[in-house]
Amino acid sequence: QFVPSDPPPPRRPLAYAEQNENDEERQFRKVFQQLAGDDMEVSPTELMNILNRIIGKRSDLKTDGFSIESCRSMVAVMDSDSTGKLGFHEFKFLWNNIKKWQCIYISNDADRSGLISSQELPAAFKAAGFPLNDQLFQLMVRRYSDEQGNMDFDNFIGCLVRLDAMCRAFKTLDKDNNGTIKVNIQEWLQLTMYS
Amino acid sequence: MSGMASNLAKKRALAAGFGTNANAVKYLNQDFEALRAQCLSRGGLFSDPTFPAAPESLGFNELGPGSYKTRAVQWKRPGELCSSPEFIVGGATRTDICQGALGDCWLLAAIASLTLNEDVMARVVPVGQSFGESYAGIFHFQFWQFGEWVDVVIDDRLPTKDGELLFVHSAEGSEFWSALLEKAYAKVNGCYEALSGGSTTEGFEDFTGGIAENYDLRKPPPNMFQIIKKAIESGALLGCSIDITSAADSEAVTRQKLVKGHAYSLTGAVEVTYRGRKEKLIRIRNPWGQVEWTGAWSDSSSEWNSVDDSERQNVKADDGEFWMSFTEFLRHYSRIEICTLTPDTLTDDSVKHWSVCNYDGSWRKGSTAGGCRNHAYTFWMNPQFVIRLDEEDDDPDDNEVGCSFVVGLIQKNRRRLRKVGEDMHTIGFAIYEVPSQFHGQREVHLDKNYFLTHAQKARSETFVNLREVSTRFKMPPGEYLIVPSTFEPHLNGDFCIRVFSEKQTETRPCDDPVKADLDDETVSDAEVDAGFRGLFTKLAGDDMEISAAELKTIMNKIVSKRTDIKTDGFSLETCRIMVNLMDDSGNGKLGLGEFATLWKKVQKYLGIYKKNDMDNSGTMSTPEMRMALKEAGFTLNNGIYQILVARYAEPDMTIDFDNFVACLMRLDMMFRVFKKIDAHDSGSIELDFHQWLTFTMI
Repeated sequence: QFVPSDPPPPRRPLAYAEQNENDEERQFRKVFQQLAGDDMEVSPTELMNILNRIIGKRSDLKTDGFSIESCRSMVAVMDSDSTGKLGFHEFKFLWNNIKKWQCIYISNDADRSGLISSQELPAAFKAAGFPLNDQLFQLMVRRYSDEQGNMDFDNFIGCLVRLDAMCRAFKTLDKDNNGTIKVNIQEWLQLTMYS
Repeated sequence: MSGMASNLAKKRALAAGFGTNANAVKYLNQDFEALRAQCLSRGGLFSDPTFPAAPESLGFNELGPGSYKTRAVQWKRPGELCSSPEFIVGGATRTDICQGALGDCWLLAAIASLTLNEDVMARVVPVGQSFGESYAGIFHFQFWQFGEWVDVVIDDRLPTKDGELLFVHSAEGSEFWSALLEKAYAKVNGCYEALSGGSTTEGFEDFTGGIAENYDLRKPPPNMFQIIKKAIESGALLGCSIDITSAADSEAVTRQKLVKGHAYSLTGAVEVTYRGRKEKLIRIRNPWGQVEWTGAWSDSSSEWNSVDDSERQNVKADDGEFWMSFTEFLRHYSRIEICTLTPDTLTDDSVKHWSVCNYDGSWRKGSTAGGCRNHAYTFWMNPQFVIRLDEEDDDPDDNEVGCSFVVGLIQKNRRRLRKVGEDMHTIGFAIYEVPSQFHGQREVHLDKNYFLTHAQKARSETFVNLREVSTRFKMPPGEYLIVPSTFEPHLNGDFCIRVFSEKQTETRPCDDPVKADLDDETVSDAEVDAGFRGLFTKLAGDDMEISAAELKTIMNKIVSKRTDIKTDGFSLETCRIMVNLMDDSGNGKLGLGEFATLWKKVQKYLGIYKKNDMDNSGTMSTPEMRMALKEAGFTLNNGIYQILVARYAEPDMTIDFDNFVACLMRLDMMFRVFKKIDAHDSGSIELDFHQWLTFTMI
């Protein structure tokens, strides 16, 4: 059984949010304001710059950097109003997940190569709450790993952000919990093109 | 996409009847019945964690934590304020509402009007609430919020100072429904202070789901008194006020005891015989419950003595309510707000029912935020709605024929992130006649040429930065197109558009169907000519397959030679997606046939890109993109255009070549997947979880 993370909370009035946060959240909001600029929203380019600035300092993570394409995709799967940008809560949610998955990445990189090999992958995904079958593993490796079967950090995050979002999307649409969802062409395109 | 999924789930829920008054959406997922049952079984009173009895629920500035006004505020339950509190004493009446230390007279005027109509009242204040047996410190109310009804739960801890309620209170000291209603409304708006300063129309609409109109009394329509009378008879809610010219004027009291910049309810309109002629009178109520007009026709003025006893209506009590002549009313007051109710509110058969249609929509930068008619290049991209007027009004009183209807455009301020007002766009709408060849068709989105060659038939009175713009029209029967827009193009916003009409009408969104003409473009190994085979062999290397990295090299080699198309180069990520989309064999690389097919597509897309780049900028502007998509065989609608722009456009709203190719490739594949699964053309597909991930993880 998959365990996607809980969906981000609904957007609340700023006054409400500001009044009901603890110190850590207040700290985070300050950082967010610096990152997001005046419009208080994070664009894919801003997301890319933040992520690359942070991973640039880490020597235990191998990566060729987050591309704009993968950041656009991450924003799209998180964005709830199709503005192409992330609000505070959406960004915080993404951020917390990335932090969590970064720990999983490091603790599952058994040979300290800085990469997740195809042997290390099942345990890593399982730790993140996604025990996949062989077929889906092959799909992930084909799409997100290099030709040697190794997944670097940006692809690992890109893959998990997407996987998590897709699991949540399925759960949301499968209202009666019968294991299938039904969509028309409009809905199908909205779901698959904005991702 | 998970955001998209929850939007779709919500849409489905609305379609299934959630969000009506009878089936309201639970605000913050709090269920009144369940919470009350919990409290009763454990024998405690409810404390609402989502709206705590704490300074932050009061306000942020004047009522902010530590402010002078909130010093010594204590939160108390009604039982701590009086020995036997009641929810409603002797039915809700308009004297139950007296203003406290908060500038929300507009809201109180709206609540006061609410009490005049039992049906409306019963919807906002659900029955079965009391301080009796089932009391558990919990109450609930229902409000209309941008097209849907929400059920709001609160606990009954109320802010007090020196043992008195700080805000709304009832003249009856032991009655609490109005103070609790105010608290619930404050919760929806974030805090009490958020209620300070607003317009009665907002309160009207949030309590009724009706549509509000504004009349400027400096230039009233000739039949203003008839409109007021008709509105009162049809159960509408009415408010009026006197404009102020400076902030210092606010709540200034004139010599004749009228309060400026203050919201009054308008509660009656009659004609009486006075000295042998008909005199038109208006009844008004001050929500303060006192300070009344002292001029002609006031409570104990001499004019009443010349009116026959049978027509005498003066009220002597100092209850805030008074009469004045219509002429003087027009002279002193500046505006009237009338809120017409929806048919589901009115159970009284004697009242004329208006029909209502309600649609949600959105403007998105680069796709559907076209701006007003001044922007001919983008105006047509705005969402469009068709309204069909079939039947003329039956109105014996006037000789004008036509169909009356009111169009209301509300902007949803989903993000009340900024201070009040700053988040409002300047909005309005235009109305066009639908050309006869399109009559009865739903799936048409009129394009630029139509708007360039046709004049509008009507429009909203102004473009204004209010929550809602509404205007009343009377037009001959026919089909009309309503185009709501922001004044400036390229502004993101969400809206809800409503059409109220005296007779049955039909309103619907007007948009293109979603479909694709896909030609079979796969190229088999055998079809590939020798020249291409040679090229492939050279590119693919020893394994005779093209990997994502190799594809990247190839694509970038091609585009780098061209100066007529702009691109920041194909990223490895984009190439990976392309390979995975094209990869039928499932080995993560492209074989000869797969590559030839991809190649053919890229060539085709390049041609379309070039042809539709009208201004030779090397990129697609978003209007150019729409044309290009059409030429590539895709007919899409606003909803899809919005997400394509959000996903593929640069911050300056252009789409460069690599994004263009990535977008069309994915679109093409997703249409193909759908068609393949929907083998019998049923219009929808069913997927299990495994299939879902297989298609969506690419």
